[in-house]
Amino acid sequence: MTVLILTCHQDVTADLVVAELRELGVPLVRFDPADLPDRAALSTEYDRGDFTGYLSTGGRLVSIHGLRSIWVRRPGRPAAHAANASEWLTAECGQALYGMLYATTARWMNHPGAAEPARHKPFQLRVAQRSGFAVPSTLVTTYPRAAHDFAVRCADIVVKSASGPPSVDPPVSLPTTRIGPDTDFSDVAAGATLLQRYVPKRADIRLICVGQEVFAARKTAAAGQVDGRFGCHGHRWEAVEAPAGILHSVHTYMALTGLAYGAFDFAEDADGVWWFLECNQGGQFGFVELETGQPIAAAIASWLAAPHTVRPPHGASPVDGPEDRPAVGRPHLRREQPH
Amino acid sequence: MQPFVLKHAIPAERSPASVPYAYNAALQLNVLSDGRPAIADRAVLLATGTTTSTAGSKTHFDD
Repeated sequence: MTVLILTCHQDVTADLVVAELRELGVPLVRFDPADLPDRAALSTEYDRGDFTGYLSTGGRLVSIHGLRSIWVRRPGRPAAHAANASEWLTAECGQALYGMLYATTARWMNHPGAAEPARHKPFQLRVAQRSGFAVPSTLVTTYPRAAHDFAVRCADIVVKSASGPPSVDPPVSLPTTRIGPDTDFSDVAAGATLLQRYVPKRADIRLICVGQEVFAARKTAAAGQVDGRFGCHGHRWEAVEAPAGILHSVHTYMALTGLAYGAFDFAEDADGVWWFLECNQGGQFGFVELETGQPIAAAIASWLAAPHTVRPPHGASPVDGPEDRPAVGRPHLRREQPH
Repeated sequence: MQPFVLKHAIPAERSPASVPYAYNAALQLNVLSDGRPAIADRAVLLATGTTTSTAGSKTHFDD
């Protein structure tokens, strides 16, 4: 049974997992949907009540019935590399590819149906509340008056983008930025704006959840640093043990969202409280593994390599599912049984 | 009038025009010019920033 990795060629983070799968002796096919249809091929047939199909790329061929699991890492847009690329061709090839893959019994990390809502920060915040995390007061609004009132009430707030920076030339970044209550909020009417109470932090936390395994890392924040991705001052990521309450909330969050992988970001305040900022369903783990030595790629590979389980219909619980068995045989920082 | 959040945009750091490795379809890995897998050179990975949380492409903002 084969692991299918959907990602672009230059994704060296995926290389870490490819190497681990090789160590485990698990067959894999790395497939970039952007290569369809010129450098990759697919075919599916529905005939006489049966369903067959295959994918081909780089001289490799895999039957869709031979798929053990599917890892959605950094796939290119379908047909993006095609000589006659177009929105229509992307839609056609996307239908063919993902329609085929949705019809398999393979396990997903993460299933696009779970990943899509999980990408939305406002959704994340509500799930985080329900999961028991400490969540900073947040407002998402197009009302300037609401933004002003929120800023006055919180006194010290930040603004951040919900979807990331726009695609413009020259490219721009949108770091989380601290703003004061006397700010002119009239431009809030020009677009949805996410405002959040500022959490004075002494450290950034990135916590990676892979199935039931959890790897947490901590980086001391520079004085006055707001966005941990910017303005670094020589501090490094170090492995840290997640508090029991956080672990409980992480597993609740994963269960509520249906995610198999999540990269959580927290701000640790002066009292040691981990404030939930976001959970990136496809968030990077490479920099954490490189700096802390935590075996995250190995954990992902083990999850993907777990024995294939045929999913019964109608939402019944899988029998003998890998989620039901503890991970064994590999060192890790923390592992928590589901609650 | 521009969206409020865009008032706080800053110029992005340019990604390196090229990286010192290339994808090898036979190995299904990126390899350095000397044939070693790119992941074998930790310094290269850290220097090129390709595994960091700001390394997302235009289609992958959730890093």
